[in-house]
Formats: sequence, structure tokens, C-alpha cells
Amino acid sequence: MRLDAKAPATLGAVVEAVAHLSTLSEAHILELVSAGRIEELFPFKPAAGVPIPPDSESDQDLVVASAKPLSRKARDSLIEASLPARSRKRFRTGTASKR
Amino acid sequence: MDIRVTDMTARDALWWDMRLGPKHASIAARADRLWSWSVLLPMCHLVQRAKRRYCRPLVIWARTDKGRFMRAGMSIVIEDYPYLDVEHSGESNFVWFMSAADSRVLAAEFGMSHPPALARVLLDNAIVLSQNAGLEGRIGLHAAPPGGDGLLVMYGRCGLTRLPASAALPPSVRRRNDGRFFYADERVAESLAAGLDASR
Repeated sequence: MRLDAKAPATLGAVVEAVAHLSTLSEAHILELVSAGRIEELFPFKPAAGVPIPPDSESDQDLVVASAKPLSRKARDSLIEASLPARSRKRFRTGTASKR
Repeated sequence: MDIRVTDMTARDALWWDMRLGPKHASIAARADRLWSWSVLLPMCHLVQRAKRRYCRPLVIWARTDKGRFMRAGMSIVIEDYPYLDVEHSGESNFVWFMSAADSRVLAAEFGMSHPPALARVLLDNAIVLSQNAGLEGRIGLHAAPPGGDGLLVMYGRCGLTRLPASAALPPSVRRRNDGRFFYADERVAESLAAGLDASR
């Protein structure tokens, strides 16, 4: 399984990897990660060519995290934001006959 | 202590991996020298969702000498995790991953002459989130084995309580106790949080 743009993983492969990892303890996963072995179990490959953000930001540009529990919607947004932004696909809204 | 805390996104993970990761990789004593936050971030979310829990990944920003802010600490906290002290019921926040940028690297390469004590701040985030979630500040963590004894000493200096190696772990943790688990109960958590109140 390679979770990258050129060879997208199937949903089944992702589910399989997550299902396996979820059987391991958090301490075990920490050990695997620290040993540099996590990609054997979760071979996520971040998209290449994504520009590196600047080293610093101004105070005004930072959105300070809430110290309180997040809403379900906010949590879901965070999960979505954990994946690199993809280039937006263009969708046409009408068929040729309706243009 | 002039810091900001933001929620972590893929951009933060990418920046850390590309800008600090290679520098940390050359420091043999660091437990996180082989971590890839770009992989960790989605993996942690998905694995914990499979366990019907949520993660709260955070970034600590500290002020540089020029007055701007740069990423200096990263953490992934699991919410509503079993409390490690089985003598007391309840749940806690579990600090699954946390990294503080090397202070010498910050000073030499990023213009931050006076980096804050980031370990305490990283733990404080987990404690405050725990308090605000009704978990009374309880937190737990496991010290990564590559960090050796130095990491154990560091968590002890931060004020955490080391779980005795003979202590049982909550069954759902599904793990042998290797003597590297630490926790803060309500009293310790309040004391640690109070210690940073002046900086809030």
C-alpha cells in the first residue's frame, strides 16, 4: 500500500492497516515509530513537491487552539487537515447541451 | 514565556519534518530522531478513531529574536484514555507523542536565543485540556525506550509520577508495564498547571 497521489491506496488497504495498528498498544506503536519502522505498517507517503511553509509566522497569522474540547465538526476538520492539501479538481457543473 | 499553541495540520508536520527533522536525526540521544510527523499525524487520528477516541495534535510556537513565531514543539494527545493508575477509576489524557525542538538548533539556526522550557509547556497543554474536559488534569504517557534513562529523568524533573514497574496497567492498554509509564493525578496536575499560571 502506498498512500500517495500516483498510487492511491484502496480504501480496503487503508482500513486493513488501521485495523491492524488499532490492535497494538499505543506504547508499542511509539516503539515502532521510534525504531523507524512505522512505514512498514502504515506506508503513508506524503505528496512530493508540496512547498515547505515559511519558518516563522506573525502573531496575527496564528490561530490559537482552543483549550476546551472541540466540537465533532472541528475534530473532523482537524482529521481532514492532517492530510496534505490536494490540488483541487475542476468539476464542470453542466453537460455540453446545457452550456 | 512568549508562546502560542495552535492545532496541528499537515503543513506543520511537513515543516517539522523538512526543517527540524534532519537536524534532530543527527542527535543520537533523541528518542524522536526517526519520527516522521507527516506520517504520524494522519496515522494517529485514524488509529484512535478506530478505537472510538480522538487525538488532539498541537503545535507550540515560540518567539524568535526578530519577534515572529516559529514552531518549537509538537505533541499528539489522546483524549479519554484509560487512566494509568488502576487504583483510581476514570480516564485521562495520554501524551502519545511529543517533541521539543533542540534548543541549540533553535538558537544557532533559527534566531531564537532563549527557547522556553518546552517539555513543561507540552505537558501543560495536556493537563489543561484534561482539566477543561472534566478529567481533572489527569494525564499519562510512556517514555520512548530510545530516550533511555535521560528521558526518565527528564519526565521526573517535569514533576510527573513514575508508575512502579510492578503496577498493573488498565486492561485496555494491552501492554506489559516496562517501568517507563508516567502520570499526573489531579493533585500533581493542579500543582504543575499552577506553576505556569503566571505565564498564561
